[in-house]
Amino acid sequence: MGQLNVAVIIKLEPDFSEGNVSYNPDGTLNRAETKNTLGPHSGIAAHAAFFAKVMYDAKVSIGTMGPPIADLALQQAQQISDAEELHLYSDRLFAGADTLGTAEVLKTGIHKMKEKMDIVFSGHRASDGETGQTGPQTAWKLGFTFLGNVVSYTVDMETRTIRAKRLISLQGTPDVLEEIEAPLPVFISIDPTYKSSFDKVSQRLAFQKYKKEAEKRADNYKDYFTMFNADEIGVAKSLVGLPGSPTIVYKVERVPKSTATRKAEVIDGSDPEAIRKAVGKMKEALDAMVIK
Amino acid sequence: MEKYDVAIIGGGSAGLAALKQLSNLGKQAILLEAGSEIGAKNLSGGILYSKKPQKGQVSNVEKIYENFLDDAPFERKITKYILHSTSKDKVYSMDLTAAHEYQSNFGYSVLLNKLNSWFAKQAIESAEKLGGGIIPGVHVKSITWNESGNAIIQTDELDEFEVKAVIAADGVNSEIADMVGARPKFTPTQLYQGVKVIVKLPEEIIEKRFGISSDEGAAHLFAGDVTLNHIGGGFLYTNSDTLSVGAVYHYHSQLENPTEPSALIDALLKNPMISEFIKDDVPIKSKIDKSLPQEEQLRIRFAVAKQIKNWNEIRSSYLSSSGRQRLIDSGKYKIDEDIKTRLDGIENQLTKLGVTFGSDYVEAEYGAKLVPDGKRCRMQKPFFKNILFVGDAAGRGIFVGPRIEGLNVGIDDGVRAANAVAKAIDKNDFSANSLGEYYSKETENSPYTTDMKQIDKNYLKIFLDATKDVPKDLIGARYGPILKMMSNEKLRGIAVKFANILGYEKLLPMIESEDTYVKIPIQLAERLGEIVSQSYSPSIPSIADRIGNLSYNDDNSSHIKVLNPNSEFMKKMVTLCPAKCYSEEGGNVIIQHEGCVDCGTCSQETEWRHPRGEKGIHYKYG
Ligand SMILES: Cc1cc2nc3c(=O)[nH]c(=O)nc-3n(C[C@H](O)[C@H](O)[C@H](O)COP(=O)(O)OP(=O)(O)OC[C@H]3O[C@@H](n4cnc5c(N)ncnc54)[C@H](O)[C@@H]3O)c2cc1C
Ligand code: SF4
Repeated sequence: MGQLNVAVIIKLEPDFSEGNVSYNPDGTLNRAETKNTLGPHSGIAAHAAFFAKVMYDAKVSIGTMGPPIADLALQQAQQISDAEELHLYSDRLFAGADTLGTAEVLKTGIHKMKEKMDIVFSGHRASDGETGQTGPQTAWKLGFTFLGNVVSYTVDMETRTIRAKRLISLQGTPDVLEEIEAPLPVFISIDPTYKSSFDKVSQRLAFQKYKKEAEKRADNYKDYFTMFNADEIGVAKSLVGLPGSPTIVYKVERVPKSTATRKAEVIDGSDPEAIRKAVGKMKEALDAMVIK
Repeated sequence: MEKYDVAIIGGGSAGLAALKQLSNLGKQAILLEAGSEIGAKNLSGGILYSKKPQKGQVSNVEKIYENFLDDAPFERKITKYILHSTSKDKVYSMDLTAAHEYQSNFGYSVLLNKLNSWFAKQAIESAEKLGGGIIPGVHVKSITWNESGNAIIQTDELDEFEVKAVIAADGVNSEIADMVGARPKFTPTQLYQGVKVIVKLPEEIIEKRFGISSDEGAAHLFAGDVTLNHIGGGFLYTNSDTLSVGAVYHYHSQLENPTEPSALIDALLKNPMISEFIKDDVPIKSKIDKSLPQEEQLRIRFAVAKQIKNWNEIRSSYLSSSGRQRLIDSGKYKIDEDIKTRLDGIENQLTKLGVTFGSDYVEAEYGAKLVPDGKRCRMQKPFFKNILFVGDAAGRGIFVGPRIEGLNVGIDDGVRAANAVAKAIDKNDFSANSLGEYYSKETENSPYTTDMKQIDKNYLKIFLDATKDVPKDLIGARYGPILKMMSNEKLRGIAVKFANILGYEKLLPMIESEDTYVKIPIQLAERLGEIVSQSYSPSIPSIADRIGNLSYNDDNSSHIKVLNPNSEFMKKMVTLCPAKCYSEEGGNVIIQHEGCVDCGTCSQETEWRHPRGEKGIHYKYG
């Protein structure tokens, strides 16, 4: 039957949650002040990898390309997925990479991982302006079958095939769940609605056990961590960073925000009179919405 | 279908002890708990005792959890135990520390969220090695049996599975007992209703105020007018940096003369002695000047909120020796004085923002739960087929005078059940005749069962000694002769024997009466009590605020269904539900389940279930 090996590619992103994000006076993101965190879609990909850990006792590795502080994202993803190998690909040479340049680094990194991968997971996309191409391009470079928008999957360890459900949403048509079967290895870009479910006692026990192990490992994540520069992973320098990135960002145009048509009013929550007024207004609005 | 030897249902202190003991014995076991994590659903007073009974053996907490004394997060070792009789501003106090220490190695104040998680951590470690463990977030909804007599367990969350034995540790409102028909639901006469609040108070203020050192604690019990004429009483236990203030009243007496449970707590909090006990310095915000620009008003509001948070955090650390050490170790401060300077700085800033400081108290959590009175409701044979009932689920709580013991009893039961199951695994015989009867005999032999059946004359003597200065006429015609007889060494033995022949059933109405809990204490306080003056009046949160302050994971459908919306009982629930879930509309009682704290008060006449896995109330202290 053999071992199942899975990798997750993740990304450190600005933390857009309340209180952590900071803007420049002109309204652009202040990257220096804004805290960073594991991207939400990367988090979901890590959950999908943990599913393989619980169900098939898979070995999980994580890779990311980014600045040295991206070890934080690796640690967070390890806490979710119980990974035992963390890779950070970091080099000035990688700067300015577009998705194709990034894919080259990730592919080389995945080849550098201890095990030969059966499944590679990536998030749906990054939330800070990436276009969702890194996944497919990495898959293409790896030569793996690409499965997009996966909402659930199972692996047949005997035949080494995967069965996955993909959510296909096209505007104007009802959503479709497509079930597909493919031989391993595959590259899975995980759908944002993905949620692992464990229905058996044995699976829940394994879940608890590995969750605890994951927390322990993440506390000592440095023991699992390796940072590589371009030479160390042995990437072809012409294929990464700016030279390896055919996309040229020619101009960034700020789309002016349309002025709000709503009229907002700040209300003092400690003033009962103000609350009463607000409730009155809400009632009015609701009444108006009822079709008479 | 997956198969296991044994499933424990419910991860309170009783179920966890069963898991730990089974693992200690090398047997694989799984424990299912409805709460999203262990400790979320458990509530106690509570003092956890370790006992040394004169006759027989019990399994104490420190025996099952070897590192309990070194590592467990208990609060304080109770070294003072005082009973107060109250009437308005007068209090008459009796030292009952001897009763507290009677046949006990120790009694620690505990908070169950913390403690049960610690128990779980220890139990999991042993259980995992054997392929077992704890599964939180799973609610058991039915048990049936297959032709080989094994139990099939169905849950709201998982595929069904098969086990050879079940340990039901699902608490006082045991659905397992109900669904398999192991016993009728407990009746109001067999139950007490417990309500409790956690009050925050810095460590060193607690120590100074209660006259205790950092490794000591105090328990204060209350009877008299604070009971609002109900049978039962109030308690205040010191924790590390909180106080547990609670009221435990006979449910039957509550049904006869319904009083809102929160009002019973409020009566305690307003008592001058208790208000002085819970008093603290608190920041009081002033109204923000409405003529300021709105941005400025917002800025002030945020600044005040932030600084008050800082103030609370630093102050509670500053007023604790370990807290100060922690701050110094963190490298932010060099010496204690630096912390004080920082605290003064924040106070100054707050004053500039219009905040003043005054006396009040700080409530952190409100909760409620029923407590079974083992004298009246313990299961005579705590099993059904291959299901063994332990702790509250078996109705095994000890109520003697002001003493409540459920934690230690449940832990001991858990061990007895685990031993019985381990034996059954070895013999491969899980039949009721073998497993059930053996466990039943074991619990019958438990010294705790004796406590639920009989009056202990030596324990009684402690009370008599404590009351020896009380004028006998005060005790009244009804008790006078009995007391006289009891005070006599020789006659006491005979009297207690006689009383035990009569049995608790006949004695209880006399012992647990309004006279004992209300009238006599009031007279005691009025005639012999000292006046306690109150320096402020505590601002007590409304019940809506209390419920609003709790954490819930809302379920969209209700776990409780009203069966007869216009019964007398249901109408009383409008008053008696501690979370105010019931209201009456046009003569019909309706439920809004969102604020339910799973106390069980309404279970008599409702279709009552615990919420599905992970749903409902999540206590932070417990
Ligand atoms: C106000 C008050 C004061 C008290 N004071 C003291 C004291 O000072 N000393 C003392 O020793 N005792 C005291 N007690 C009693 C003591 O708290 C209880 O006896 C003890 O907590 C009971 O433990 P248990 O494990 O039997 O049940 P519980 O702690 O109630 O645990 C039952 C568990 O089962 C779970 N569960 C229920 N149904 C299901 C299901 N269908 N599927 C899955 N899980 C389920 C619940 O979520 C819960 O976690 C007090 C109680 C109260 C309310
Ligand atoms: S609804 Fe019932 S169980 Fe819930 S808090 Fe109210 S009385 Fe207790």
